[in-house]
Amino acid sequence: MVFRKIFSQGKKELDVIDDIRRQIKLLCSACEIFRTALEKQDRELFWDVIDLEREGDSIRREVVSHIYEGAFLPYLRPDLCKFVEIVDEVLGLVKDAASLGLNMELPEQLKDDCTRVALLNFRMSEMLLFTYEAVVKGQDPREKMLAIRIYEKKIDDLKAAIFGEAYRIPIRDFWTGKRLSDMIKGLTMISDMVEDASDHLQIIHVSMR
Amino acid sequence: MRVDEFMTTKIETIDENGSVYDAVETMVNRRIRSLVVLGHGRDSVDGVVTARDVVFKVLAKGLNPKNVKVAEIASRPIICVDGGMDFQEVSTLMEKSNIARVFICEQGKVKGLVSLLDLMAAELIMRARGDHGF
Amino acid sequence: MWTILSGIFLGWSLGANDSANIFGTGVATGTVRYRTAILLTAFFVLVGAILEGPKCMRTVGELSTVLPMEAFVCALAAAVTMTLLTILAVPASASQAIVGAILGAGIISGTADFSQLYKIVVCWVFTPIAGITISYSLYRILYFLLQRSAVGITTRNLIYSTGILVTGSYGAYCLGSNNVANVTGVYVGAGILTSETAALIGGLSIAFGVLTYSRKVMMTVGKGIVPLDPFSALIAVLAAALTLHIFTQIGVPVSSSQAVVGAVVGIGLVGDVRTVQFRMLMKISGGWIMTPLTAGILAYVPIRWIL
Repeated sequence: MVFRKIFSQGKKELDVIDDIRRQIKLLCSACEIFRTALEKQDRELFWDVIDLEREGDSIRREVVSHIYEGAFLPYLRPDLCKFVEIVDEVLGLVKDAASLGLNMELPEQLKDDCTRVALLNFRMSEMLLFTYEAVVKGQDPREKMLAIRIYEKKIDDLKAAIFGEAYRIPIRDFWTGKRLSDMIKGLTMISDMVEDASDHLQIIHVSMR
Repeated sequence: MRVDEFMTTKIETIDENGSVYDAVETMVNRRIRSLVVLGHGRDSVDGVVTARDVVFKVLAKGLNPKNVKVAEIASRPIICVDGGMDFQEVSTLMEKSNIARVFICEQGKVKGLVSLLDLMAAELIMRARGDHGF
Repeated sequence: MWTILSGIFLGWSLGANDSANIFGTGVATGTVRYRTAILLTAFFVLVGAILEGPKCMRTVGELSTVLPMEAFVCALAAAVTMTLLTILAVPASASQAIVGAILGAGIISGTADFSQLYKIVVCWVFTPIAGITISYSLYRILYFLLQRSAVGITTRNLIYSTGILVTGSYGAYCLGSNNVANVTGVYVGAGILTSETAALIGGLSIAFGVLTYSRKVMMTVGKGIVPLDPFSALIAVLAAALTLHIFTQIGVPVSSSQAVVGAVVGIGLVGDVRTVQFRMLMKISGGWIMTPLTAGILAYVPIRWIL
């Protein structure tokens, strides 16, 4: 009976790890699809992104309940849950941007830079996955976190340029302006959160040494 | 990794008849180290003026930047590469030509630029992705 | 025969007090359930007492020639001292209590053998030192090996969670084998019990103490001294257990509390000395001075004036 408990302990943790991996991969897909949707102005793809967010939300709930059912040592659990919640928040941001995308089209002068940000967001989420895999294997994630910071800096520069350009655009009415503002803000906030998520991975890595 | 994935797209320009002083002002304000020099007329070719050009060709010589035209110190033509080029190739090219930045052009139009710093950042990213053999 | 009752009382208070040294950190951090901890401790303490308990009986028995009645008083004095310290939530040393008591009685009858005392005191002094040395070395070596092996977090998690159970069980075994002599050794000296019977009865009484009254001290020891991560907690318990086991082979019962504090300090030395809470250390050191003194007086007084 004791042995079964020990083996099931190992399995519970592996399940949690797999679920979190699924969640991050979902984020990568969402970012990739969003970028294509933005480029091609494809409404179908925006809907796909929204569906993905819903799936991610259910994964989050699964992970948290598995964790509190007894996976991992107690002191590690809050950090894992926090990470999962941050990833869920990022997915939420992507979904919000997709919802906006359904109802608006980006002005020509902003399109290039915004699609670049979307591409970099995708690359960042890929890097987050690599960072996660490293931490799970017990390796130092430092190199990958540096890469994330580099992407974040690039996006920051683009953000300044985008806003500078945006302020010069004549706005028809309040809601058009608001949608545009929300879209740009959401797009650029994604990278901040991904960086936050990677910081939490570092915390998990250090706690497990 | 393609070079155009990591380029800077914000390129500042200056007219070739502008003074070096104007160039300095722009570069210091925007914290950048190079400007694209726009040529006049049909046969003109765009060039680039860099921080090196300003310091070595004007300031070090004790010349007054307000009296020197940008056209006099600019390098022409701009060295362009295709956006699909590999980072390794670009590094080699820059080393051979002894330049600190290279422009990414598409059908004659400047789309962006890649600097030494960008190359280093790209190296870190490729390492983190495990793209390299090392 | 009823004189062994005070010994049982002593065993009970030792179980209540010292079991925290084994699973204290585990329970306080939520890594091990309280119920699991006390069941494992009780079981392995008994096993340890039966298998290797007799090894230390001789040393305790030879401290002074003791009559059955005096044996009763000694064990009682030691037990009262231990219980007092348990209520105050201070980890106390049963070894020091019983030795203090026996010597207190021995002073009156004039049979106190102080030459034996030297051997015992030397072992007492070396207990925390051994704890520090063993834990420091173990930590360094095992940490290096763990880093080298590059295991993932799921495997590490498994290592820590099962490791704490395994080292705790071993720790309980060593506690039983080393400390049971404190509980009933005095009766072997008085000739009432054989070593084996004494070990069995002593082991049972310690297990009883573990099962009934160990919660309070467990919560203090777990959180009181050093904030320990799972790896350090594992090393601390293992080092303390090894220390006890070594002294069992030498034949001298020593303090499990001192072994643990030594182990924890040793780990603190690996990182930063300031990780050890000084105030708690002072409180514990105070207990170590007061214990033999109190027990000695509590034994001396009744025997002198009543018997």
